[in-house]
Parts: sequence; C-alpha cells; structure tokens
Amino acid sequence: MAAVLPWPPSDSAQPLEADAQWLVVVGGGTLIDQAKAVRERRAGLKLVAIPSIWGSGAEASPVIVLSQGGRKEIRINSSARPDAVVSWPELARDVPDERLRAGCGDCAAHALEGFLSPLATPELREALAEVIRRACALPLGFNPEWFELSALACAGQAQSGVGLVHGIAHVLEGPLRAQQPERNWHHARLCATFLEPVMRLNQAGSGKWNQLLAAHRLPEAEIWKLLRDLFEPESFRAALPVLRQEWRNVLRDACSRTNSVLVRPDWLERMENLSLP
Amino acid sequence: MENREKLKKVVEDVFLLQSGEFRLDLRRDEVETWDSFGVVSLAVGIQEEFGYHCTPAEASGIKSVGDIINLLSAKGIDFDH
Repeated sequence: MAAVLPWPPSDSAQPLEADAQWLVVVGGGTLIDQAKAVRERRAGLKLVAIPSIWGSGAEASPVIVLSQGGRKEIRINSSARPDAVVSWPELARDVPDERLRAGCGDCAAHALEGFLSPLATPELREALAEVIRRACALPLGFNPEWFELSALACAGQAQSGVGLVHGIAHVLEGPLRAQQPERNWHHARLCATFLEPVMRLNQAGSGKWNQLLAAHRLPEAEIWKLLRDLFEPESFRAALPVLRQEWRNVLRDACSRTNSVLVRPDWLERMENLSLP
Repeated sequence: MENREKLKKVVEDVFLLQSGEFRLDLRRDEVETWDSFGVVSLAVGIQEEFGYHCTPAEASGIKSVGDIINLLSAKGIDFDH
C-alpha cells in the first residue's frame, strides 16, 4: 500500500490509507522525522527509512523534531526508531555539494555537542570521540561513510544532549527562512555555520573543552581544521542580525540550556566580536 | 568577586532573570525557567563559578537559592563575607 507524505511538511494526520501496514520513507531528516510522527499515531504501522542524505541521523534516533509554526518541537520516544533502515548511499550522489557539506556539519555538531554534553557518560564520550576522529579524517563531500558516522553521532547525542549550536539552529531556522528566503536556510547549514563560532566560545568559556579533548586523545588541530572548513563567513554574517533579534529565545531554548558551558547573555556580543575569517 | 555576587550572577544567567528578580529566598517554583533543563544548566554554572561538581541527585534536590548556599557552604565555600 503506497502512501505519500505532504511536502513541505504539514499536519500529516490523514495521508495514509487506512489499512497501510508499512510506511517507507526516502528522504532527509525532516521527512524521516515526519514519518516517525505519523507512525506514532498508527499502532502496528511498520516504518522503513531510507536516508537520502547524511547529517541528521534521524533514522538512528528516538528523537523526533517537527516544525510547528516556524518553531521546533522536539520529543523523545524510545519506540520512534524505524523498524528497518535501508542503506542506499548512491541516493546522495545527485545531492548538491552545499547540502552534502552542510550534512557533514550537522553530523559533526551532533558528535561534538554530544561528546561535550554535561549529561554524557565517559563511555558515551569515548564512542563519540571515535566518531569525531573518523569525521576529521573524511573529506567534506560525497562519501558513504558519512551515513554511518551521522547515525552513530545522532544515536550518541540522543543519550546525552546537544548544545548551543542546535539551540541556534532550532530557533533561527524559521525566522531566517521567512526573512531571507533567497538564501535557502536549513537546519544542517545553520549547524555548519555556527559550529566553529560556538566551539570557540565553549573553549574560551571553561577549561572543559581542553580537558575532555585531552582525556579522550582527540586531535585538536584536526578538529579546528574541520570546523574551519565547514564555516561559511558570508552565511554567518547574514545570520547575525537575526541571531540578535532572537537571542533571548536562543537562551531559553532547551538545547542551549544543556550546552557544555553555561551560555551567558553576553555571548552574543562575544560571538559578534569573534575574529573569524 | 565575593561569593554572594558570584552566586547572584550565576542564578541570573542560568535562569535568565531580569534585574531585581534575584533574591536570596528565591524558590524553584517561582522561576519558570527552573525546570529540568535549568537544573542541568545550574549544575554547569555552579561548577564553572565555584569549581564544585554537583551530583545529579544534588542538582535536582536544589529547590531554592538557599539550598545552593547550604550545599556549597557544606563544601567549604564561604558566603558569610
């Protein structure tokens, strides 16, 4: 029984045939999460996910992120993971390079924020450290290994939490899409754009960054190179005015409040004054 | 900075209080942002400002600013001067 979910995502309470037994979703994190939400409402419905791009790792996570009126609604349901995941990396071959690179940024943000999270256990940190090491060694662009790393990073961060990068991405995505439609803002691109600035503030804000990297033998120089390669100065500058408007909401966001370092109100000014390329 | 001033700054930053909202007798049930995320954030802030790592049970057991003072005082951090 075939079913088609609405795109762009909307309230999808009635898209399925009443007697559908399987829902097969092919797409990125937004569509996979939408399918997970549909499955929540239909007892017995089996879900198969075929990710068409890496980054979100939604196929491996109990977290469901939905857009509601321009804001993100996030919930965790231990039974939300798909019943099966089909690996079909060739689907990403035709994805524009900008999207692929942004997906690498989303993956790296999950791994780093999950690793640094105050809620992470030493065992989880070690597992995520291995993901970070592998990510540092991969070129940004098409490589099927990014699918595996994204799934590992997302499953890992689901056990600890994310931080300010995701707080910014969740709060800014709606307003940026509305105010700058020509720039094609999306979650992964925001993660890629803000990963380096936020990690710089995290490092400056406490000794935790250096301590944890050393404890898990992570290659700091390679991490900064990865973050620099992901950083888009023009996107950063374009997003800053909206970040200023939304800063209070960013501070109140659940992800920001579980950041590895306490996010202070003056971090906005410090972010604006960072010496970035 | 005196420990009382440091505590005020941490509580204001963690719970996004407006100027004048901080009180030494402020309770958790009076602060909207003192939810489960606020508990995590408070533990991070206490560690950064006072160098004390709260256990999860200690952090979730804090119900007021007075509880923070009692917890830290018991660890040798002085709030009397």
